[in-house]
Amino acid sequence: MIKLERVSYAYHDKFPAVSDVSLEINRGDKVAIIGANGCGKSTLLQIMGGLRYPSKGRFLFGGAEVSERSLREKGFLKLFRKSVGYVFQDSDIQLFSPTVLDELLYGPLQLDIGEEEAMARTLEVMQMLNIEHLKDRPSHMLSGGEKKKVAIGSILTMNPQVLLLDEPTNGLDPKTQSFLMELIFTLNEAGKTLIIGTHDLSLVEELQTNVAVLSEEHRLERMGEAKEILRDEDLLLKVNLIHEHIHRHDQVTHKHIHSHYLFHRH
Amino acid sequence: MASRIPSFLLDRPLPGVFKQERGKVNIPFIEEGINHLAGVIKKEYVQWELSSQNGFLQKIDARIKVLFLLFFVIIVSLKRSLLPELYIGFFVFVLVLLSRLRMGMFYKRVFFLGFFFGFLVAFPAAFNVITKGEIIGPLIKLSRPLNFWIYHIPADIGITREGIYGVARLTMRVINSLSLSFLVLYTTPFPEIVRALKVLKVPDTFLIILSLCYKYIFIFSKTVEDMHLAKKSRMVREASNTEAREWIAGRMAFIFRKSRLRCEEVFNAMIGRGFSDTIKLYSIRKMRPKDWYVGILFLFIGVLFLLI
Repeated sequence: MIKLERVSYAYHDKFPAVSDVSLEINRGDKVAIIGANGCGKSTLLQIMGGLRYPSKGRFLFGGAEVSERSLREKGFLKLFRKSVGYVFQDSDIQLFSPTVLDELLYGPLQLDIGEEEAMARTLEVMQMLNIEHLKDRPSHMLSGGEKKKVAIGSILTMNPQVLLLDEPTNGLDPKTQSFLMELIFTLNEAGKTLIIGTHDLSLVEELQTNVAVLSEEHRLERMGEAKEILRDEDLLLKVNLIHEHIHRHDQVTHKHIHSHYLFHRH
Repeated sequence: MASRIPSFLLDRPLPGVFKQERGKVNIPFIEEGINHLAGVIKKEYVQWELSSQNGFLQKIDARIKVLFLLFFVIIVSLKRSLLPELYIGFFVFVLVLLSRLRMGMFYKRVFFLGFFFGFLVAFPAAFNVITKGEIIGPLIKLSRPLNFWIYHIPADIGITREGIYGVARLTMRVINSLSLSFLVLYTTPFPEIVRALKVLKVPDTFLIILSLCYKYIFIFSKTVEDMHLAKKSRMVREASNTEAREWIAGRMAFIFRKSRLRCEEVFNAMIGRGFSDTIKLYSIRKMRPKDWYVGILFLFIGVLFLLI
Protein backbone atom coordinates (compact mmCIF):
# COMPACT_ATOMS: atom_id res chain seq x y z
CA MET A 1 0.00 0.00 0.00
CA ILE A 2 2.80 2.39 0.96
CA LYS A 3 6.20 2.05 -0.61
CA LEU A 4 9.26 4.23 -0.16
CA GLU A 5 12.03 3.68 -2.67
CA ARG A 6 15.41 5.06 -1.60
CA VAL A 7 13.86 8.24 -0.25
CA SER A 8 16.05 11.12 0.95
CA TYR A 9 15.10 14.57 2.19
CA ALA A 10 17.21 17.53 3.35
CA TYR A 11 16.05 20.80 4.93
CA HIS A 12 17.32 23.94 3.17
CA ASP A 13 19.45 21.60 1.01
CA LYS A 14 21.85 21.54 3.94
CA PHE A 15 20.56 19.43 6.81
CA PRO A 16 19.76 15.83 5.91
CA ALA A 17 16.62 14.54 7.65
CA VAL A 18 16.03 11.27 5.81
CA SER A 19 18.76 9.35 3.97
CA ASP A 20 18.13 6.60 1.47
CA VAL A 21 15.16 4.98 3.23
CA SER A 22 13.32 2.12 1.54
CA LEU A 23 10.21 0.77 3.24
CA GLU A 24 7.06 -1.13 2.40
CA ILE A 25 3.87 -1.08 4.48
CA ASN A 26 0.85 -3.26 3.72
CA ARG A 27 -2.85 -2.64 4.25
CA GLY A 28 -3.87 -3.14 7.89
CA ASP A 29 -0.29 -3.06 9.20
CA LYS A 30 0.60 -1.43 12.47
CA VAL A 31 4.07 0.12 12.16
CA ALA A 32 6.10 2.22 14.57
CA ILE A 33 8.94 4.36 13.27
CA ILE A 34 11.31 4.75 16.17
CA GLY A 35 14.52 6.67 16.64
CA ALA A 36 16.19 9.31 18.78
CA ASN A 37 15.27 12.99 18.57
CA GLY A 38 16.17 14.55 15.23
CA CYS A 39 16.60 11.24 13.39
CA GLY A 40 13.91 12.12 10.83
CA LYS A 41 10.76 10.37 12.10
CA SER A 42 8.46 13.36 11.60
CA THR A 43 9.95 14.16 8.19
CA LEU A 44 9.45 10.56 7.08
CA LEU A 45 5.84 10.65 8.29
CA GLN A 46 5.30 13.96 6.49
CA ILE A 47 6.62 12.43 3.28
CA MET A 48 4.18 9.53 3.70
CA GLY A 49 1.44 12.08 4.37
CA GLY A 50 2.20 13.84 1.07
CA LEU A 51 3.16 17.01 2.94
CA ARG A 52 6.79 17.05 1.89
CA TYR A 53 8.24 15.60 -1.26
CA PRO A 54 11.44 13.53 -1.35
CA SER A 55 14.56 15.29 -2.64
CA LYS A 56 15.62 11.88 -3.98
CA GLY A 57 13.78 8.59 -4.43
CA ARG A 58 10.07 7.87 -4.83
CA PHE A 59 7.04 7.53 -2.58
CA LEU A 60 4.29 5.27 -3.94
CA PHE A 61 0.76 4.99 -2.58
CA GLY A 62 -1.33 2.12 -3.93
CA GLY A 63 1.15 1.82 -6.78
CA ALA A 64 0.89 5.49 -7.85
CA GLU A 65 3.72 7.93 -7.27
CA VAL A 66 2.91 10.72 -4.82
CA SER A 67 4.61 13.91 -5.89
CA GLU A 68 3.90 17.63 -5.97
CA ARG A 69 2.68 17.11 -9.53
CA SER A 70 0.40 14.14 -8.89
CA LEU A 71 -1.15 15.85 -5.86
CA ARG A 72 -2.21 18.73 -8.10
CA GLU A 73 -4.52 16.37 -9.98
CA LYS A 74 -7.99 16.70 -8.52
CA GLY A 75 -8.90 12.99 -8.59
CA PHE A 76 -5.65 11.80 -7.07
CA LEU A 77 -5.59 14.53 -4.43
CA LYS A 78 -9.06 13.53 -3.31
CA LEU A 79 -8.20 9.83 -3.19
CA PHE A 80 -4.96 10.44 -1.34
CA ARG A 81 -6.25 12.89 1.26
CA LYS A 82 -9.31 10.74 1.84
CA SER A 83 -7.15 7.67 2.32
CA VAL A 84 -4.34 9.13 4.43
CA GLY A 85 -4.89 11.11 7.63
CA TYR A 86 -2.09 12.86 9.51
CA VAL A 87 -2.24 13.64 13.22
CA PHE A 88 0.36 16.26 14.05
CA GLN A 89 2.47 16.22 17.19
CA ASP A 90 1.34 19.74 18.05
CA SER A 91 -2.45 19.70 18.07
CA ASP A 92 -2.57 23.51 18.21
CA ILE A 93 -1.18 23.65 14.70
CA GLN A 94 -3.79 21.25 13.40
CA LEU A 95 -6.92 22.82 14.84
CA PHE A 96 -8.00 25.84 12.84
CA SER A 97 -11.80 25.88 12.81
CA PRO A 98 -13.85 28.13 15.13
CA THR A 99 -15.31 25.32 17.29
CA VAL A 100 -14.77 21.61 17.94
CA LEU A 101 -17.88 20.76 15.92
CA ASP A 102 -16.62 22.78 12.91
CA GLU A 103 -13.26 21.09 13.26
CA LEU A 104 -14.73 17.61 12.98
CA LEU A 105 -17.06 18.65 10.16
CA TYR A 106 -14.31 20.26 8.09
CA GLY A 107 -12.93 17.05 6.54
CA PRO A 108 -16.21 15.34 5.52
CA LEU A 109 -17.55 18.59 4.05
CA GLN A 110 -14.34 18.93 2.03
CA LEU A 111 -14.96 15.43 0.70
CA ASP A 112 -18.39 16.55 -0.51
CA ILE A 113 -20.16 14.14 1.82
CA GLY A 114 -23.72 15.35 2.38
CA GLU A 115 -24.27 17.63 5.38
CA GLU A 116 -26.52 15.11 7.12
CA GLU A 117 -24.03 12.28 6.84
CA ALA A 118 -21.16 14.55 7.81
CA MET A 119 -23.06 15.57 10.95
CA ALA A 120 -23.90 11.95 11.77
CA ARG A 121 -20.23 10.95 11.40
CA THR A 122 -19.15 13.87 13.58
CA LEU A 123 -21.58 13.03 16.37
CA GLU A 124 -20.58 9.36 16.32
CA VAL A 125 -16.87 10.19 16.50
CA MET A 126 -17.47 12.72 19.29
CA GLN A 127 -19.35 10.03 21.19
CA MET A 128 -16.55 7.52 20.71
CA LEU A 129 -13.94 10.02 21.88
CA ASN A 130 -16.08 11.33 24.74
CA ILE A 131 -15.92 14.91 23.58
CA GLU A 132 -19.60 15.67 22.90
CA HIS A 133 -19.66 18.22 25.73
CA LEU A 134 -16.90 20.19 23.98
CA LYS A 135 -18.65 20.58 20.66
CA ASP A 136 -19.25 24.33 20.87
CA ARG A 137 -15.94 25.18 22.47
CA PRO A 138 -13.13 26.92 20.52
CA SER A 139 -9.98 24.78 20.33
CA HIS A 140 -7.82 27.21 22.33
CA MET A 141 -10.04 26.62 25.34
CA LEU A 142 -9.27 22.90 25.53
CA SER A 143 -6.72 21.00 27.60
CA GLY A 144 -3.79 19.19 25.93
CA GLY A 145 -5.56 15.79 26.06
CA GLU A 146 -8.80 17.24 24.74
CA LYS A 147 -6.95 18.94 21.88
CA LYS A 148 -5.33 15.62 20.96
CA LYS A 149 -8.74 13.89 20.95
CA VAL A 150 -10.22 16.62 18.75
CA ALA A 151 -7.21 16.44 16.39
CA ILE A 152 -7.67 12.68 16.04
CA GLY A 153 -11.44 13.12 15.69
CA SER A 154 -10.97 15.69 12.92
CA ILE A 155 -9.08 13.05 10.94
CA LEU A 156 -11.34 10.10 11.80
CA THR A 157 -14.45 11.83 10.43
CA MET A 158 -12.74 11.60 7.01
CA ASN A 159 -12.47 7.82 7.54
CA PRO A 160 -8.92 7.47 6.22
CA GLN A 161 -7.54 4.00 5.58
CA VAL A 162 -4.06 5.03 6.74
CA LEU A 163 -3.45 6.99 9.93
CA LEU A 164 -0.11 8.68 10.48
CA LEU A 165 0.41 9.61 14.12
CA ASP A 166 3.37 11.79 15.09
CA GLU A 167 4.41 11.25 18.72
CA PRO A 168 0.79 10.58 19.72
CA THR A 169 1.39 10.15 23.45
CA ASN A 170 3.71 13.12 23.93
CA GLY A 171 2.67 15.34 26.82
CA LEU A 172 -0.48 13.39 27.61
CA ASP A 173 -1.48 12.22 31.09
CA PRO A 174 -1.55 8.43 31.75
CA LYS A 175 -5.34 8.21 31.46
CA THR A 176 -5.42 9.91 28.04
CA GLN A 177 -2.43 7.82 26.97
CA SER A 178 -4.21 4.56 27.78
CA PHE A 179 -7.34 5.84 26.04
CA LEU A 180 -5.24 6.54 22.97
CA MET A 181 -3.65 3.08 23.04
CA GLU A 182 -7.08 1.47 23.20
CA LEU A 183 -8.23 3.65 20.30
CA ILE A 184 -5.20 2.68 18.21
CA PHE A 185 -5.91 -1.02 18.86
CA THR A 186 -9.57 -0.64 17.96
CA LEU A 187 -8.84 1.27 14.75
CA ASN A 188 -6.27 -1.30 13.70
CA GLU A 189 -8.73 -4.12 14.39
CA ALA A 190 -11.20 -2.22 12.24
CA GLY A 191 -8.69 -2.58 9.39
CA LYS A 192 -6.95 0.78 9.44
CA THR A 193 -3.25 0.96 8.63
CA LEU A 194 -1.46 2.72 11.45
CA ILE A 195 1.96 4.34 11.21
CA ILE A 196 3.26 5.87 14.41
CA GLY A 197 6.37 8.01 14.82
CA THR A 198 7.67 7.76 18.37
CA HIS A 199 10.65 7.37 20.67
CA ASP A 200 8.42 5.93 23.38
CA LEU A 201 9.49 2.28 23.61
CA SER A 202 6.69 1.39 26.02
CA LEU A 203 4.20 2.39 23.33
CA VAL A 204 5.90 0.04 20.89
CA GLU A 205 5.92 -2.77 23.44
CA GLU A 206 2.28 -2.29 24.29
CA LEU A 207 1.05 -2.03 20.70
CA GLN A 208 3.31 -4.88 19.47
CA THR A 209 3.79 -3.17 16.14
CA ASN A 210 6.22 -3.82 13.35
CA VAL A 211 9.12 -1.50 13.94
CA ALA A 212 11.29 0.58 11.61
CA VAL A 213 14.38 1.83 13.44
CA LEU A 214 15.96 5.05 12.20
CA SER A 215 19.57 5.79 13.05
CA GLU A 216 20.94 9.20 13.99
CA GLU A 217 22.41 9.28 10.49
CA HIS A 218 18.78 9.34 9.27
CA ARG A 219 19.00 5.87 7.70
CA LEU A 220 16.73 2.88 8.17
CA GLU A 221 18.80 0.78 10.54
CA ARG A 222 16.48 -2.22 10.81
CA MET A 223 12.89 -3.31 10.24
CA GLY A 224 11.35 -6.09 12.29
CA GLU A 225 8.77 -7.16 14.84
CA ALA A 226 8.55 -5.30 18.15
CA LYS A 227 9.64 -8.31 20.22
CA GLU A 228 12.75 -8.87 18.15
CA ILE A 229 13.73 -5.19 17.98
CA LEU A 230 13.14 -4.48 21.67
CA ARG A 231 15.26 -7.49 22.63
CA ASP A 232 18.21 -6.19 20.61
CA GLU A 233 19.90 -3.98 23.19
CA ASP A 234 22.95 -3.38 20.98
CA LEU A 235 20.75 -1.96 18.24
CA LEU A 236 18.81 0.28 20.64
CA LEU A 237 22.06 1.44 22.20
CA LYS A 238 23.51 2.18 18.77
CA VAL A 239 20.54 4.36 17.76
CA ASN A 240 20.55 6.08 21.15
CA LEU A 241 17.15 4.88 22.31
CA ILE A 242 18.65 3.40 25.45
CA HIS A 243 21.80 4.40 27.30
CA GLU A 244 24.29 3.16 29.83
CA HIS A 245 24.29 4.79 33.22
CA ILE A 246 25.94 4.45 36.57
CA HIS A 247 24.01 4.40 39.82
CA ARG A 248 24.14 3.21 43.41
CA HIS A 249 22.28 0.56 45.36
CA ASP A 250 23.20 1.13 49.00
CA GLN A 251 26.99 0.76 48.98
CA VAL A 252 27.28 -0.73 45.48
CA THR A 253 27.88 1.45 42.48
CA HIS A 254 27.28 -0.19 39.14
CA LYS A 255 26.71 0.48 35.47
CA HIS A 256 24.01 -0.94 33.20
CA ILE A 257 21.90 -0.33 30.12
CA HIS A 258 18.90 1.77 30.90
CA SER A 259 15.66 2.78 29.31
CA HIS A 260 12.92 4.47 31.24
CA TYR A 261 10.40 1.81 30.29
CA LEU A 262 11.83 -1.50 29.29
CA PHE A 263 15.28 -2.17 30.57
CA HIS A 264 16.31 -1.71 34.11
CA ARG A 265 17.98 -5.02 34.66
CA HIS A 266 20.79 -5.65 37.09
CA MET B 1 -14.24 1.17 22.96
CA ALA B 2 -14.71 -1.45 20.22
CA SER B 3 -18.46 -1.41 20.77
CA ARG B 4 -18.55 2.34 20.32
CA ILE B 5 -16.61 2.50 17.06
CA PRO B 6 -18.82 4.17 14.43
CA SER B 7 -19.91 1.83 11.67
CA PHE B 8 -18.61 4.14 8.91
CA LEU B 9 -15.06 3.65 10.23
CA LEU B 10 -15.38 -0.04 9.46
CA ASP B 11 -15.97 0.62 5.75
CA ARG B 12 -13.14 -0.64 3.60
CA PRO B 13 -13.12 0.89 0.12
CA LEU B 14 -11.54 -1.12 -2.67
CA PRO B 15 -7.88 -0.24 -3.19
CA GLY B 16 -7.17 2.36 -5.81
CA VAL B 17 -10.81 2.83 -6.82
CA PHE B 18 -11.49 6.51 -7.14
CA LYS B 19 -13.56 8.85 -9.18
CA GLN B 20 -11.46 10.19 -12.02
CA GLU B 21 -11.68 13.97 -12.02
CA ARG B 22 -10.03 16.00 -14.67
CA GLY B 23 -8.20 19.21 -13.98
CA LYS B 24 -5.53 20.55 -11.71
CA VAL B 25 -5.78 21.97 -8.22
CA ASN B 26 -4.54 25.51 -7.78
CA ILE B 27 -3.40 26.55 -4.36
CA PRO B 28 -4.69 30.06 -3.59
CA PHE B 29 -2.05 32.68 -4.21
CA ILE B 30 -2.40 34.25 -0.77
CA GLU B 31 -1.86 30.91 1.02
CA GLU B 32 1.02 29.80 -1.17
CA GLY B 33 2.57 33.27 -0.86
CA ILE B 34 2.55 33.26 2.94
CA ASN B 35 4.04 29.79 3.09
CA HIS B 36 6.71 30.79 0.61
CA LEU B 37 7.56 33.91 2.61
CA ALA B 38 7.87 31.87 5.80
CA GLY B 39 10.18 29.48 3.96
CA VAL B 40 12.35 32.32 2.68
CA ILE B 41 12.66 33.89 6.16
CA LYS B 42 13.69 30.55 7.61
CA LYS B 43 16.22 29.93 4.86
CA GLU B 44 17.73 33.40 5.28
CA TYR B 45 18.00 32.88 9.01
CA VAL B 46 19.78 29.55 8.59
CA GLN B 47 22.14 31.00 5.98
CA TRP B 48 22.99 33.90 8.25
CA GLU B 49 23.67 31.61 11.19
CA LEU B 50 25.93 29.51 9.04
CA SER B 51 27.74 32.37 7.27
CA SER B 52 31.26 31.37 6.25
CA GLN B 53 33.93 32.09 8.81
CA ASN B 54 36.93 32.02 6.52
CA GLY B 55 36.74 35.35 4.70
CA PHE B 56 38.49 38.66 5.34
CA LEU B 57 35.68 40.52 7.13
CA GLN B 58 34.59 37.49 9.16
CA LYS B 59 37.87 37.66 11.09
CA ILE B 60 37.46 41.34 12.00
CA ASP B 61 35.99 42.48 15.32
CA ALA B 62 32.24 43.20 15.14
CA ARG B 63 32.72 46.69 16.66
CA ILE B 64 34.98 47.71 13.77
CA LYS B 65 32.42 46.38 11.29
CA VAL B 66 29.48 48.19 12.92
CA LEU B 67 31.45 51.48 12.96
CA PHE B 68 32.55 50.86 9.34
CA LEU B 69 28.90 50.37 8.36
CA LEU B 70 27.75 53.58 10.07
CA PHE B 71 30.65 55.63 8.68
CA PHE B 72 30.24 54.41 5.11
CA VAL B 73 26.44 54.76 5.08
CA ILE B 74 26.94 58.41 6.10
CA ILE B 75 29.52 58.86 3.31
CA VAL B 76 27.14 57.27 0.78
CA SER B 77 24.40 59.72 1.82
CA LEU B 78 26.72 62.74 1.67
CA LYS B 79 28.06 62.18 -1.83
CA ARG B 80 26.35 64.37 -4.41
CA SER B 81 27.82 62.96 -7.62
CA LEU B 82 27.59 59.58 -9.27
CA LEU B 83 31.27 58.76 -9.69
CA PRO B 84 32.18 58.47 -5.98
CA GLU B 85 29.07 56.30 -5.52
CA LEU B 86 30.42 53.98 -8.22
CA TYR B 87 33.85 53.91 -6.51
CA ILE B 88 32.19 52.98 -3.22
CA GLY B 89 30.17 50.29 -5.03
CA PHE B 90 33.40 48.86 -6.42
CA PHE B 91 35.05 48.98 -2.98
CA VAL B 92 32.15 46.99 -1.48
CA PHE B 93 32.41 44.53 -4.38
CA VAL B 94 36.09 43.93 -3.53
CA LEU B 95 35.17 43.37 0.13
CA VAL B 96 32.46 40.88 -0.89
CA LEU B 97 35.06 39.02 -2.95
CA LEU B 98 37.60 39.01 -0.11
CA SER B 99 34.95 37.82 2.35
CA ARG B 100 34.13 34.85 0.07
CA LEU B 101 30.40 35.52 0.10
CA ARG B 102 28.26 33.91 -2.58
CA MET B 103 28.37 36.68 -5.15
CA GLY B 104 25.23 35.69 -7.08
CA MET B 105 23.04 35.37 -3.99
CA PHE B 106 24.45 38.58 -2.50
CA TYR B 107 23.90 40.84 -5.50
CA LYS B 108 20.58 39.24 -6.41
CA ARG B 109 19.21 40.46 -3.08
CA VAL B 110 20.90 43.84 -3.28
CA PHE B 111 19.63 44.56 -6.81
CA PHE B 112 16.14 43.22 -6.10
CA LEU B 113 15.67 45.51 -3.09
CA GLY B 114 17.59 48.34 -4.81
CA PHE B 115 15.20 48.17 -7.77
CA PHE B 116 12.10 48.51 -5.58
CA PHE B 117 13.31 50.92 -2.92
CA GLY B 118 15.75 52.88 -5.08
CA PHE B 119 14.88 52.89 -8.75
CA LEU B 120 11.07 52.60 -8.61
CA VAL B 121 10.71 55.13 -5.80
CA ALA B 122 12.94 57.65 -7.57
CA PHE B 123 11.82 57.01 -11.14
CA PRO B 124 9.07 59.72 -11.31
CA ALA B 125 11.81 62.27 -10.61
CA ALA B 126 13.26 61.50 -14.05
CA PHE B 127 10.39 63.47 -15.69
CA ASN B 128 10.46 67.20 -16.21
CA VAL B 129 7.16 67.43 -14.25
CA ILE B 130 9.30 66.98 -11.13
CA THR B 131 12.90 67.71 -12.17
CA LYS B 132 13.39 70.65 -14.50
CA GLY B 133 16.09 70.43 -17.11
CA GLU B 134 17.05 69.49 -20.63
CA ILE B 135 14.60 66.97 -22.10
CA ILE B 136 16.46 64.03 -23.63
CA GLY B 137 13.47 61.70 -24.03
CA PRO B 138 10.24 63.50 -25.01
CA LEU B 139 7.12 61.44 -24.28
CA ILE B 140 3.88 63.46 -24.39
CA LYS B 141 3.05 66.78 -26.01
CA LEU B 142 0.09 68.71 -24.54
CA SER B 143 -1.67 71.53 -26.38
CA ARG B 144 -0.76 73.96 -23.60
CA PRO B 145 0.89 73.94 -20.15
CA LEU B 146 -1.44 73.14 -17.24
CA ASN B 147 -1.48 74.77 -13.82
CA PHE B 148 -3.07 72.90 -10.95
CA TRP B 149 -2.89 74.31 -7.40
CA ILE B 150 0.87 74.58 -6.76
CA TYR B 151 1.76 72.26 -9.63
CA HIS B 152 2.86 73.31 -13.07
CA ILE B 153 2.69 70.74 -15.90
CA PRO B 154 4.64 71.86 -18.97
CA ALA B 155 3.34 71.29 -22.51
CA ASP B 156 6.25 68.98 -23.39
CA ILE B 157 6.54 66.09 -20.94
CA GLY B 158 9.64 63.92 -21.05
CA ILE B 159 12.66 62.54 -19.28
CA THR B 160 15.34 65.09 -18.42
CA ARG B 161 19.10 64.67 -18.25
CA GLU B 162 19.13 66.05 -14.69
CA GLY B 163 16.24 63.74 -13.73
CA ILE B 164 18.00 60.63 -15.01
CA TYR B 165 21.15 61.66 -13.19
CA GLY B 166 19.18 62.14 -9.96
CA VAL B 167 17.48 58.74 -10.29
CA ALA B 168 20.81 57.03 -10.97
CA ARG B 169 22.40 58.75 -7.97
CA LEU B 170 19.57 57.79 -5.60
CA THR B 171 19.49 54.21 -6.90
CA MET B 172 23.26 53.93 -6.40
CA ARG B 173 22.91 55.32 -2.89
CA VAL B 174 20.29 52.70 -2.03
CA ILE B 175 22.31 49.89 -3.65
CA ASN B 176 25.48 50.94 -1.81
CA SER B 177 23.71 51.25 1.54
CA LEU B 178 22.08 47.86 1.05
CA SER B 179 25.30 46.14 -0.02
CA LEU B 180 27.16 47.63 2.96
CA SER B 181 24.44 46.44 5.35
CA PHE B 182 24.27 42.94 3.83
CA LEU B 183 28.06 42.74 3.82
CA VAL B 184 28.23 43.36 7.57
CA LEU B 185 25.20 41.16 8.31
CA TYR B 186 26.46 38.20 6.31
CA THR B 187 29.92 38.32 7.81
CA THR B 188 28.95 38.82 11.46
CA PRO B 189 26.97 36.37 13.59
CA PHE B 190 23.96 38.01 15.22
CA PRO B 191 25.18 37.69 18.86
CA GLU B 192 28.38 39.48 17.85
CA ILE B 193 26.38 42.38 16.41
CA VAL B 194 24.36 42.68 19.62
CA ARG B 195 27.59 42.63 21.63
CA ALA B 196 29.10 45.34 19.43
CA LEU B 197 25.98 47.50 19.75
CA LYS B 198 26.09 47.08 23.54
CA VAL B 199 29.70 48.23 23.63
CA LEU B 200 28.74 51.16 21.42
CA LYS B 201 26.22 52.19 24.11
CA VAL B 202 23.02 51.30 22.31
CA PRO B 203 20.27 51.16 25.03
CA ASP B 204 19.64 47.73 26.60
CA THR B 205 15.88 47.88 26.01
CA PHE B 206 16.50 48.21 22.29
CA LEU B 207 18.95 45.30 22.32
CA ILE B 208 16.57 43.04 24.26
CA ILE B 209 13.78 43.78 21.80
CA LEU B 210 16.14 43.17 18.89
CA SER B 211 17.38 39.83 20.26
CA LEU B 212 13.89 38.56 21.08
CA CYS B 213 12.53 39.64 17.68
CA TYR B 214 15.38 37.87 15.94
CA LYS B 215 14.63 34.57 17.68
CA TYR B 216 10.88 35.02 17.34
CA ILE B 217 11.01 35.52 13.57
CA PHE B 218 12.35 32.00 13.20
CA ILE B 219 9.76 30.48 15.55
CA PHE B 220 7.06 32.48 13.78
CA SER B 221 8.05 31.29 10.30
CA LYS B 222 8.22 27.69 11.56
CA THR B 223 4.71 27.99 13.03
CA VAL B 224 3.39 29.40 9.74
CA GLU B 225 4.99 26.57 7.78
CA ASP B 226 3.56 23.93 10.15
CA MET B 227 0.11 25.48 9.92
CA HIS B 228 0.32 25.36 6.16
CA LEU B 229 1.22 21.65 6.30
CA ALA B 230 -1.68 20.95 8.69
CA LYS B 231 -4.07 22.66 6.28
CA LYS B 232 -2.55 20.84 3.33
CA SER B 233 -3.07 17.47 5.06
CA ARG B 234 -6.82 18.06 5.04
CA MET B 235 -7.09 19.89 1.74
CA VAL B 236 -9.08 17.61 -0.51
CA ARG B 237 -10.15 20.07 -3.17
CA GLU B 238 -9.22 23.49 -4.44
CA ALA B 239 -9.94 26.17 -1.85
CA SER B 240 -11.36 29.46 -3.06
CA ASN B 241 -9.58 32.72 -2.31
CA THR B 242 -12.37 33.61 0.13
CA GLU B 243 -11.81 30.37 2.05
CA ALA B 244 -8.07 31.02 2.01
CA ARG B 245 -8.58 34.54 3.38
CA GLU B 246 -10.88 33.22 6.12
CA TRP B 247 -8.32 30.60 7.07
CA ILE B 248 -5.55 33.17 7.17
CA ALA B 249 -7.64 35.53 9.32
CA GLY B 250 -8.32 32.71 11.78
CA ARG B 251 -4.67 31.70 11.87
CA MET B 252 -3.57 35.30 12.42
CA ALA B 253 -5.72 35.39 15.54
CA PHE B 254 -4.14 32.10 16.61
CA ILE B 255 -0.61 33.43 16.08
CA PHE B 256 -1.45 36.61 17.94
CA ARG B 257 -2.76 34.60 20.90
CA LYS B 258 0.20 32.25 20.83
CA SER B 259 2.68 35.16 20.57
CA ARG B 260 1.14 36.85 23.58
CA LEU B 261 1.39 33.65 25.63
CA ARG B 262 4.96 33.06 24.47
CA CYS B 263 5.84 36.63 25.34
CA GLU B 264 4.66 36.07 28.92
CA GLU B 265 6.47 32.73 29.14
CA VAL B 266 9.74 34.14 27.81
CA PHE B 267 9.58 37.08 30.19
CA ASN B 268 8.90 34.75 33.14
CA ALA B 269 11.79 32.54 32.03
CA MET B 270 14.05 35.61 31.92
CA ILE B 271 12.91 36.72 35.39
CA GLY B 272 13.36 33.14 36.62
CA ARG B 273 17.01 33.31 35.59
CA GLY B 274 17.65 36.56 37.40
CA PHE B 275 16.96 39.14 34.69
CA SER B 276 16.64 42.70 36.04
CA ASP B 277 16.79 45.31 33.30
CA THR B 278 20.28 45.22 31.91
CA ILE B 279 21.97 42.86 29.50
CA LYS B 280 25.08 41.36 31.05
CA LEU B 281 27.63 40.11 28.56
CA TYR B 282 30.45 37.68 29.14
CA SER B 283 34.02 38.78 28.50
CA ILE B 284 34.15 40.94 25.41
CA ARG B 285 37.22 40.01 23.48
CA LYS B 286 40.01 42.55 23.26
CA MET B 287 40.71 44.22 19.95
CA ARG B 288 43.71 42.69 18.25
CA PRO B 289 46.29 44.73 16.30
CA LYS B 290 44.79 43.34 13.08
CA ASP B 291 41.38 44.82 14.01
CA TRP B 292 42.98 48.21 14.62
CA TYR B 293 44.87 48.13 11.32
CA VAL B 294 41.75 47.28 9.36
CA GLY B 295 39.80 49.97 11.28
CA ILE B 296 42.42 52.59 10.40
CA LEU B 297 42.44 51.40 6.77
CA PHE B 298 38.65 51.76 6.56
CA LEU B 299 38.89 55.22 8.13
CA PHE B 300 41.53 56.25 5.62
CA ILE B 301 39.53 54.93 2.64
CA GLY B 302 36.37 56.60 3.99
CA VAL B 303 38.12 59.97 4.27
CA LEU B 304 39.43 59.49 0.72
CA PHE B 305 35.88 58.93 -0.53
CA LEU B 306 34.77 62.06 1.32
CA LEU B 307 37.42 64.12 -0.43
CA ILE B 308 36.68 63.01 -4.01
